[in-house]
Amino acid sequence: MEFKERILTAMNHEEPDRVPTMGLILDQSTVNQVLGLDTVDIVGMLRNPETKDVVVQMMSDESSRFTNYYQVHCGVQESAIKLGFDANWSLYAAYMQLVQDPQTPIGYVFHDAFGRVWEFTSDEKGNMLLNYTRPLCETEEQWEEWVESKSAFIDKVIGEVGVFHKKVVEDFGDRIMPIGYAAPGVFENCWQPIGFVNFTKLIFEKPDFIKRVIKFHTDLYLRYLEQVMDSDVEIVLTGDDLAQKTGPMLRPQMIEDLFGESYRRVAEAIHKKNKKMIFHSCGNIYQLLDKFIEWGFDGILTLEPTAGVDLGKVREHVGHNLVLVGNLDVSYLLVRGTRQEIEDAVKKALRDAARGGGYILSTSHSHSAVDANRLRWMVEASHQYGNYPLIS
Amino acid sequence: MSGDTRQNLQDSLLALDMQTTIVQVKSVIEGNSEINATEAADAITSALEIVGRRFQNGEWYLAELVYSGEIAKAALELLSPAMTLGIASGRGTIVVGTVAGDMHDLGKDIFINYSKSAGFNIVDLGVDVPTGTFISAVREHQPVALGMSCLLTITAPEVGKVIQALENEHLRDVVRVIIGGAALTETFATEVKADAFAPDAVTGTDIIKRWSE
Ligand code: B12
Repeated sequence: MEFKERILTAMNHEEPDRVPTMGLILDQSTVNQVLGLDTVDIVGMLRNPETKDVVVQMMSDESSRFTNYYQVHCGVQESAIKLGFDANWSLYAAYMQLVQDPQTPIGYVFHDAFGRVWEFTSDEKGNMLLNYTRPLCETEEQWEEWVESKSAFIDKVIGEVGVFHKKVVEDFGDRIMPIGYAAPGVFENCWQPIGFVNFTKLIFEKPDFIKRVIKFHTDLYLRYLEQVMDSDVEIVLTGDDLAQKTGPMLRPQMIEDLFGESYRRVAEAIHKKNKKMIFHSCGNIYQLLDKFIEWGFDGILTLEPTAGVDLGKVREHVGHNLVLVGNLDVSYLLVRGTRQEIEDAVKKALRDAARGGGYILSTSHSHSAVDANRLRWMVEASHQYGNYPLIS
Repeated sequence: MSGDTRQNLQDSLLALDMQTTIVQVKSVIEGNSEINATEAADAITSALEIVGRRFQNGEWYLAELVYSGEIAKAALELLSPAMTLGIASGRGTIVVGTVAGDMHDLGKDIFINYSKSAGFNIVDLGVDVPTGTFISAVREHQPVALGMSCLLTITAPEVGKVIQALENEHLRDVVRVIIGGAALTETFATEVKADAFAPDAVTGTDIIKRWSE
C-alpha cells in the first residue's frame, strides 16, 4: 500500500497494510539533524551589532517573506520524508512582520496579522525559536483598531496560505502526504491577541464584544480554510489548544456556548469539500471528547500523555467515532528514551488504539529537544510491529 | 441582621456578579450596612476560599477563577482605605516569574491574579527570566515567597539553578521558594530543594498564606 492510501484507509476506520505514521516536524533543530545542516545562530546575529542590520533587513523584506519561509519549510518536508513518515503537517506561519521593540533584549519582535507579539529565543542548540508572549489588543478599542489597520495584511496572508499549500502538495505530494494545517484556530485567534486573563474578564463584562470577536475570527478562519482546501490536501488539521494539564481552559458548556457554532461551521466547510478534519488540542481533553464528536470532527491530535491522556481510555470512550493521532511522549521518550522504551511505547499505542484502523502513530507534539534518531526508531517500530492484522 | 450583607456579598461573588458585589461594598463603606469594612473584606475572602475549593474539585474552571479574583480585587481595593487591620495591611510580597527559556505565562498570570485578590503584593518578573533577575528581585523586595513557573521539561533545570544561586548568594534562608507549572512535580520540588510545589494557583496561594502568617 502506498502512504496516501494507508493514511486515508486509517482515516476511514479500516485496517490498512500497516499502521500509518505522521510527522509533526517543525523545529529547525530536527531538520538540521536529519539533513546534516549547521545551526545558524540568527538570534546571536541579531544581538551582534555588526550583523544586526543585515539580519533585520532580511527579516523585514516583505518581498521575500513568503519565499524565505517556503525554503525553510522544504527542509521540514524533506526531513519527514527521510525519516520515513507517511504524512507530515504543513504549517504556514509567515503571517508576521518584524517590528522594533526597545523593551526586549534584542530590540525587535514580530507582530502577527491577528494581534500577537512573538519574541525571539533560541533552542539549546542555538536555533531560532519564536514564541507568542503577549497580546496587542487588550481593549475593545485596540482590537477594533488592529483588525481595521491590518485588514490588507490579513487578506494578503490568506492568499499566501493557498499558494503555500498548493506548492507543498505539488513539490512533495508524490513522496509524502502533506496534511494542510490551518492554524492558529478560532479559539486561539480570539483569546491570544487579547490575553487570556483579559479575555475571560471580557466574557463576563462585555459578552457582545466577545461574540463579535468570535464571529469575526470564525468568518476569517473559514476564508483561510477555503484557501488551504483549494490545494490538493485531503486532510485538514485545525489547531486550537482547548485544554491544559488538568482539563479544559473554559467550562465545556462555555466553550459550547461561545465556540460550538464556529466548530460546527468549520467541520461542515471541510466535509463539503469532501475532505477530512483532524483537530489539534493539547492538554487534558477528556471532558471535550463528546463535543468533538458532536461538532463533527473526524479525528483528534495530540492526546498529550503529560496531561494524563491515556490512548486506551480515549478509544474506549469514543469508539470508532474519532480517528486518534499522536500520544507518544516528547518530554522524555523521544528526547532521551531507549530504543526498547520507544518500541514498547509504540506497541502499547497500537494495542490501545489501532485495532480496526482509526489510529495514526505520531508524537504528541513538535519540540526542539526531540531527537531525530528516536523519531526514526518510532517509525521503524511501526514497520516492525504495526502490520495488520495486529498480533496480540 | 449581621449575617445578611456577609451572605449577600458571598452570594454575589459566587454568582460572578461584579455589579451587585460593588454596590454592596459601597453601602458598607458609606456606613449603610450592619457590618464594617473589615468584616466585609472577611466575607469576600471566605467567598474566595469557596471559589478555590470549587476550582480544586474541578467544579469551576479557569474563567470563573479569574473573574471571581477580579471581583474580589475590585471589592478589596474599595474596602481597604476604610479598613483598620487585616488584608488591607497586606500579606506581604511575592516575586514571581517563568524560568529562563520558557515563555508560558498563563499559569503564572492566573496565580498572580488569584494571589493578588487574596491580598498579596506581587512583583511580576515576566517570562524567560534569567537566574540573576530572580536573585536581584529577591534581594530588592525581600518577599515572603519566590514563585517560579515552568511548563517545559527542558527548562526545568533552571528552577534548580535559581535555588542554587539563592544559596550561593546567602539568600536561601530569607525566602521560601514555591514552584508550579505543567513540567514540575512534588518529587521534583524535593529534588531541587524547593519549599513547596503547587499543582494549582489556589493551593499555591494557600501555602503562601500559611507562610505569611
Ligand atoms: C497554551 C500552551 C502554549 C501557548 C502558551 C501561551 C502563553 N502565553 O502562555 C503557546 C502556543 C505559545 C505554547 C508554546 C509552546 N509550547 Co505549549 N502548551 C500550552 C498548553 C496547551 C497549556 C498551558 C497553559 O497555559 N495552561 C493553563 C495554565 C493556567 O495552567 P498551568 O500553566 O499548568 O498553571 C496552573 C498550575 O500549574 C499552577 N502554576 C503554574 N505556574 C505556577 C507558578 C507558581 C509559583 C504557582 C504557585 C503555581 C503555578 O497554577 C496555574 C493555575 O491553576 C500546554 C499543555 C499542558 N499540558 O499544560 C502546552 C505545553 C506546555 N507546551 C508544550 C510545548 C512543547 C510548547 C512549545 C515548545 C511548542 C513548539 N514546538 O514551539 C512552545 C514553547 C515555547 C516556549 N519556549 O516556552 C508542551 C511541553 C512539553 C514538555 N513537557 O516539555 C506542552 C505540555 C504540550 C504538549 N503537547 O506536550 N504553548
